[in-house]
Formats: sequence, structure tokens, C-alpha cells
Amino acid sequence: MKSTKIYEGSHQWIMFGRDENKPNYIVDSNQYIVRTQKRCLLLDPGGFELFAPMMAAVLHHAPVEQITDLFASHQDPDVISSLSLWDQALTNAKLHAPEIWEGFLRHYGCESIEYVPIPDNGGTIKLDSLELQIIPAHYLHSSGNFHIYDPQAKILMSGDVGAALEAPGAPMFVDKFDAHTEKMRYFHQRWMPSNQAKRAWIERVRNLDIDILAPQHGRIFKGDDVKRFLDWFDALQVGIAV
Amino acid sequence: MNNQTKAQFIAVASITSELSAVMVIAKEISLAAANAKAIAFRAGDKAKGFQPITDFINELAKETIERVDTINKLAILLYQVTVTEFRKTLSFHRFELVVKMSGSAVYADSMLGPLEEAKNEMMDCRRQFKRDVALLLAQLEAVMHHARAARVIAANSRIEASQAGEYLQSLQTVAESVDNAAHTIHDNVQRCRMALSLFRNS
Repeated sequence: MKSTKIYEGSHQWIMFGRDENKPNYIVDSNQYIVRTQKRCLLLDPGGFELFAPMMAAVLHHAPVEQITDLFASHQDPDVISSLSLWDQALTNAKLHAPEIWEGFLRHYGCESIEYVPIPDNGGTIKLDSLELQIIPAHYLHSSGNFHIYDPQAKILMSGDVGAALEAPGAPMFVDKFDAHTEKMRYFHQRWMPSNQAKRAWIERVRNLDIDILAPQHGRIFKGDDVKRFLDWFDALQVGIAV
Repeated sequence: MNNQTKAQFIAVASITSELSAVMVIAKEISLAAANAKAIAFRAGDKAKGFQPITDFINELAKETIERVDTINKLAILLYQVTVTEFRKTLSFHRFELVVKMSGSAVYADSMLGPLEEAKNEMMDCRRQFKRDVALLLAQLEAVMHHARAARVIAANSRIEASQAGEYLQSLQTVAESVDNAAHTIHDNVQRCRMALSLFRNS
């Protein structure tokens, strides 16, 4: 599992992915941690198969007892099917996840971790003195879906929005935006069901000051590519399967 | 999933299936007892010896139903223990992998506690499974005892039926159905015991 520090200030953002030992039959995913002085938040911690490499990678940055929070943007297996393993490994942790998915997510196994349901209008996650914003992103693609915005680091962890399904070993950051759109087009058109939801999200996100847009699959957008992505997404027709 | 775990899941599932058949048959015995009682009542003095037998058959059927109900609850618990054991074993192996993969990590040692805990929980589940299997086997033995008693009663019923004049045929049919039912229960329960006994000393 490769790790890349994408922000370093009073706290850190680290991205994990491009696991060379990942079985070929499962989709590659990006996992993120936000590390403060005494706490560690895992964002979309990944599927069951990824638990061991992910935990081993996190142990370079935080001890088990300081992994205090998990966030699941939605209910998909590549996002959080490792839950039962985190549930047994972590002694004092909370899972922040959509309220509407609680009864569903618990099927993965969630006994010792405290489920903190996120209401439809979002909320905040406090890590030491850092306050992260939970941004609603419903129907992008899941009916109960959230992203995480860090106003200090100016990072938006955007779940499946901005995602691309790429060949193994793809670079961590978008370098040529126009070429990259072809890797995102079908994913967004097919996985995202609603143009109305897309417009509402873009309107909300344009009001945020974003340096880095960090999706759950594929490459990360930096600087001007963030605005380029929002413009490209705005113009894209989604929900093409009907 | 290893072969031992697969076999555990299959054994527990097959017990539930066998027991549901036993429950149906025990209810049939109860019905046969009620039928026999009505015939014996009509037969009056001719079936005097048969009357207390019908009560006994009914009592036996009731006890069997209650016990099978208890065993069913135990089987559900055993299924839950099997699922938990499966999960704990899986976690233990994944945690072992984490320890192996995190060799040089600064905080690698912090995983040793959860690994130890997972191992203890896995072993607890295994012990719990064996305890529950022993309990279930004892309960199944009791049902087999009932089935054997029912067959003895069926034999006595035949003797009593032979003295019931024109009611002989009806009462013999009752005795026959009790005997068949007891035989089937015995066989089904025996299969449950065989499925479980594999794990008693594993």
C-alpha cells in the first residue's frame, strides 16, 4: 500500500492506495487519514480485502488506540466492508456514517464501534482542535452520501465524485486534465443518477475554498484542476442508463 | 472458510432441518393420541386398558415437542456461536497479517494487544461451541429416550388393541402410527447426533 502526504500543517492528511498486492478482481480505492496530535480519522477505510495492508500502513502514522474515528461516505463495500475488522481492532472508536444507512451498514458487523448517524443536512467531526465539515452529497452516487471538507487544509474528500477507474499504478495526481476526463466520463455518467443532485452539489461546493479535491478512486485534483473539474462535471449529463 | 468451519455450518443447518421434521412428527403423535382417546372412549370397557395408554402417548408427545423446541433454541445459539467463531477466526488471521506487514512501522507494536485479544476471543468461541454441542447432544439423547419409550408404548398398545373387539382395527392403526412416528423421530435425532458428535472432541 503506497502512502502520500497531501497536507502538512497543524495536522496531516495522508492518502493510501495503489496497493500492489491487491487482488486484480477488486477495484482500486483511495483511503485517507486525517492525523491530529492525539487522534486519527480514517476516511472511507476500504473493503475487507484491504484491511490488513491499510492497517499496516496506518501504523506508520498512528498507534491503534489513537484511531478514534472512521467516516464512511456511503454504504458501498469498497468504502466500508472492512468494518467488522476495525470493529474488533479498535477499542474506542466512532463511525460517522449516513443516518439512513445505519441498519444496513451494521450488517458488516459493528458492535464495539459507536455508530454516529449523520443527518441528511450534514454536520461536523471534531478531532482535537480541528473541526471538519460534513458536506451533503446525496445521490452522488448513493442516496445517503457525504463528503468531508477541511477548511484549514482546504481539502474536499469527495467520495465517488471525481473518481476514475484506472489501470494499476496510475499516478496519484491529475497532471493533464483534458486527457483525464476520458477516464472519468463513463464512471460519472453511469454511477451518478441525478443531474438535479449534481447541480445542487456543485452549487454548494463552489462556495468552498478548495485546493485539493480528493476522490475515493483514481487521481487527486490540485489547484486550478479543481475548478476545471467542477466546470466539466457541471456540463456533463449523468444518469445515462435510463 | 476452512473445512472445519464449513462442516460446522453444515452440521448446524442440518440439525435445524432434522428437528423441524421431528416437530411435525411429534405433533402427529399428539393428534394420534387424541384420536386414540376418542376411539377408546367409544369402545368403553373393551378398550379399558387402552385409555391410560392414550394419556401417556399424549404426555410423551407434549414432552417431545417441548424438548425439541428447547433444542431448536439451542441450535440457533449454536449457529450464532458458529458465526461469531468464524468472524473471530477471520479477524485473528487478518490481525496476524497486519503484524506481519507492519514490521518496521513506528506503531507496529500497538497491534499486538488487539491480536492477543482476537486470539483469546477465538479460543473462547471454540470452547463455547464445544460446550453447546455437549449440551445439545444431551438434549438429543433425551428425545431419543422418548422415542424408545414411545415404541414400547406402541407395542403395549397393540396388545391392548387385540382385546378391543370391533375397535381392534382402529386402535391397531393408532399403535402403528405411534410406532412409525417414534421410529422416524429416533432416526432423525440419531442423524443430528452423528452430525454433532464429530465436533464433541474436535
